[in-house]
Amino acid sequence: MTSRSLVVLLVLALLSNGCAPLTPPPGRGTHLRYTHGEGAMAAWAGSTDEPTLLESEGPQRLNRLQGAREAVGPGGAEAPEWQSTLAAHLALLRAVDEVSASTRSVSRELSRLRASQQGIAGAGNGLFVRYVEYGERQLLWMDAELAAAARLATAASQVEEPGMQLALLHLAGPRLEAAMMGSLLLAVWCDFLRLTDDVLSRRFYSVERLFMDMDRFQKMLEPAMKALASLEPAQVEATADDVPALVGHLTGEFEALRETVRRGAENLQKALVLKESVEALTLVSALKFTLPALRAAAPATLGTGFMVGSGGVMMGTRMVVSAEWVEMMRRLVRAGVLSLPAVSAAVRIQAGQVMMAHGELPRGVREALGEGPEVRAMRVTGRTGAGMARRPRHHVMPEEFREWFEQRGFTGEMDIDQFCVRLEQAHHQAIHGGGNWKLGRTWPGEWNRMIMEALSKAESRTGRMLTPSEVLGTVAKRMQDYGIPMKFIPWRGR
Amino acid sequence: MSDGRAWQGNVKARLYERVRERGYDSLTAFAEARPTASLVELAEELGPDDIVGVQVFSGLLAEAERRKQVTRLVRSVLVRMLFQSLPEGWPSVMDDANRFNVAKALGAWFGYTPETHEARAEQAMAALRATPPPPGWRPLGPDDELLLSLMPDEEA
Repeated sequence: MTSRSLVVLLVLALLSNGCAPLTPPPGRGTHLRYTHGEGAMAAWAGSTDEPTLLESEGPQRLNRLQGAREAVGPGGAEAPEWQSTLAAHLALLRAVDEVSASTRSVSRELSRLRASQQGIAGAGNGLFVRYVEYGERQLLWMDAELAAAARLATAASQVEEPGMQLALLHLAGPRLEAAMMGSLLLAVWCDFLRLTDDVLSRRFYSVERLFMDMDRFQKMLEPAMKALASLEPAQVEATADDVPALVGHLTGEFEALRETVRRGAENLQKALVLKESVEALTLVSALKFTLPALRAAAPATLGTGFMVGSGGVMMGTRMVVSAEWVEMMRRLVRAGVLSLPAVSAAVRIQAGQVMMAHGELPRGVREALGEGPEVRAMRVTGRTGAGMARRPRHHVMPEEFREWFEQRGFTGEMDIDQFCVRLEQAHHQAIHGGGNWKLGRTWPGEWNRMIMEALSKAESRTGRMLTPSEVLGTVAKRMQDYGIPMKFIPWRGR
Repeated sequence: MSDGRAWQGNVKARLYERVRERGYDSLTAFAEARPTASLVELAEELGPDDIVGVQVFSGLLAEAERRKQVTRLVRSVLVRMLFQSLPEGWPSVMDDANRFNVAKALGAWFGYTPETHEARAEQAMAALRATPPPPGWRPLGPDDELLLSLMPDEEA
């Protein structure tokens, strides 16, 4: 450990002694919250306490799920699967809710900055507004992905087959993951904007230089943001691994900028004003955990260790993430909805400088977040294991009937392109009636014909258009007949 | 069964080997001993890792063609589908949810009906609509009286 990071740790330990509650805060106790002394950690929890749409819908969805569970009938053999799917479903809704709270608070902050006549809006003929707009554009895609994830979760709650429910949650996962990582970065960007606003409004620093600095910071942020917004699994995963280091790097830049501003101000007798403003700037992002205080660090006894305690993940005496958050993430990781690298990255960012610089979380923490042999195996087969990556993709809802499905609500995140499976060549041939495995002379079971017959007959008999969940339920049952794994991947190009 | 193993090797040989291991001389005999089991359940019993429902169905169809008992097979598939969708039998109140449950079973059945029997399946569906069966009707095999009246054997 370098002496520098030791100092950081010391400072953290000292600062946190006074302000880190060891028990989760009251109120929305079951929700994600970084229990730092200053209250809500805006990058995640925001400061709103009004119930959100998602929260208020939660119980209804729960009821629907439970109702559906009862409809499975006696026997109870399916109970464990239902229960874990239900738990993953609730955890997903909660996580979507928490990330949404974060993007909402960033959104409010951006609106405020956009209107800041003294600072960003007024200085340099509004030159800096573009940086606020950059943030707003990121906010747009994150909110869109969060909304899509929430809709997929709703669809999951309306489908009866647990396999299909989980498959829909898996479709929502990457969207949540991208938005979650994106919101962490966006909160950092928001801090840069606030610093900029403050510096501009007090004329501490050259406008031109600040403009160039911000341009540089934006360029650092851009590749990661782009990769996340693309939703390409490989890109998102690689970015998740990189985000802690990126935040660490930006932390250094932030610190350097503040230091420069400070030195400049000393000569101008602005030091006192500065002390009240820039140094006291309340940060919304993870930066507030990682920045060494500008004041001198007082000596402190260091009793740190990064570990899982009863209250959550602790670093020394500071709580990094609450036990509820860990539990929520564990469910999502174990259900394969979120990836461990992404969740680990989030924890590392919250933990601060030391963890951002030094790779992996300790094993105990990884295990608390859901790591285990199955999850590792899931990840391997999900990527290249068993030659999966080379197997061609196939639509389970036949492409030639795209319009039929669109008319029944399969658009956007529910587009039939989202419901593709990878199959071995032999399997693919077989379900389309090819190969030499057939025993019968005639073959009524060719997949496309069979599924469209089943759907259209069911629809005409019902006397109305089928709902997406009814279509998916039918598709799920027949996929089981054909031994098609209920693991969807999106169709991307040809 | 999700790893594609079911489609490797000699599917037919595997299927019949399992049937014989379980003491039956035909797939039909194995299936008729479990008249309300779904295709998935039949497959799981024969080989949870390497046999899937649609293979069982294909085998059943092959045997039915040889024995000229396709109509009987078609009836038995309807029994399985109805049992899955309507475990309590034909609904007494035909509200939207129940109408869909009936439709789901009939649709799935139609999907597995060979082209040679599609017209008869259409007729049977029309008859079920025109004259609904009594509430609670739940055929337990291809010899169910009402079912036979909807789709009588003609081959034998």
